[in-house]
Amino acid sequence: MLIGIELEDKIRDYIVKSTFEDVKNITNETLIFEEGVLDSMGLLFLIEFLNEEFNVTTNDDELVVENFKSINNIVAFLKAKL
Amino acid sequence: MSTSGKHVPFSKNILHFENVEKVCNEIIVNLKRDVGRTLQRRGAVVGISGGIDSSVVMALSAKAFGPEKVTGIMLPEKDSSDDSLFLAEKLAKKFGVSTKVEEITKALDGFGCYQRRDEAIAKVIVDFDPEVDKAKIEIKQNITENLPAVFSITVIKPSGEIRSKLLPAKEYLQIVAATNFKQRCRMSMLYYYAESLHYAVIGTPNKHEVEQGFFVKYGDGGADIMPIGHLYKTQVYQLASYLGVPQEIIDRTPTTDTYTAEQTQEDFFYQMPFESMDLIWYGWENNYDAKEVAAVMGKSSTEIENIYKNFERKRKTTEYLRMKPIF
Repeated sequence: MLIGIELEDKIRDYIVKSTFEDVKNITNETLIFEEGVLDSMGLLFLIEFLNEEFNVTTNDDELVVENFKSINNIVAFLKAKL
Repeated sequence: MSTSGKHVPFSKNILHFENVEKVCNEIIVNLKRDVGRTLQRRGAVVGISGGIDSSVVMALSAKAFGPEKVTGIMLPEKDSSDDSLFLAEKLAKKFGVSTKVEEITKALDGFGCYQRRDEAIAKVIVDFDPEVDKAKIEIKQNITENLPAVFSITVIKPSGEIRSKLLPAKEYLQIVAATNFKQRCRMSMLYYYAESLHYAVIGTPNKHEVEQGFFVKYGDGGADIMPIGHLYKTQVYQLASYLGVPQEIIDRTPTTDTYTAEQTQEDFFYQMPFESMDLIWYGWENNYDAKEVAAVMGKSSTEIENIYKNFERKRKTTEYLRMKPIF
């Protein structure tokens, strides 16, 4: 099972690759939607990435800001589902 | 926030036109100038759907150019509501405008519109049967949830049973791309008539459609002039009443008229009723404090702040649709 830091790295790597952002701009606390790093299609692709990479599906009722607002939040969401 | 620099308190009447006749006359003057002088065209083509926006645009065009210089084009396809044609015909008759009906189902079949859409739906809802099932896409999140909206597919079986699933990115994009053939096909036909008559195409999007990106690039977003592109939906209704648009059209719930299942524009995209959306959008656009707007709208400041963020996000993420080609 992946540990927290590996999950963080994988998610950051995905975000950086899919947005062409400089890696130093994406911290674990960056508010990735509020700061405009990802938009609604970005969220959809992120959900797909979580499914393909970690086999974690996102249900309608899990589409809340607490689960997705930053890398830290996404990791917490993943840990709860893995 | 005000025209004189003085703070105008936020209220539920803030968007109501005191003099709707003056507003209509200004639009009519602009239409005549833009079509005649700027575009050098001799009349107007309007796609009419039986909806409130296209009805108001057709009424304004008939008043601007005279009904004999306006052609209303109805563009139904197999998923269109039966009411659309009936109401559009009633509207044209009321304003003395001649009409043409162009059924575009065969053209859409040629593009593979239905087949490509249904193929994507069936990948998500495996027992989807396009012959008997109805389908639509919708946003299920609450607008006050501070996260970008994502779409779900809902399939309604003949028994009334409902199947709904979050759409994966690939299937969502395929459904939207396939469905957008409808608006682009309509645009092509409108320009056929406009060019053959030497007329201009008068577009029908309102302010929300333009600014929130609820239109198809080079589809219903393809037009020479958008005379109500600066008007809030409730203001469009105010003009409709003043201009004498048939009451059945005014009373009709705005729908997308795009998917096989009944679907309001609120369910599909806006996530809130027009009456509230108009006011909160105005508050956001004019920098009203969320607290002041919240007190009038009966919501919390946090809810208004989250709706402001939703608007900001929608405008930003749909900028691509409003952009001209880059060269």
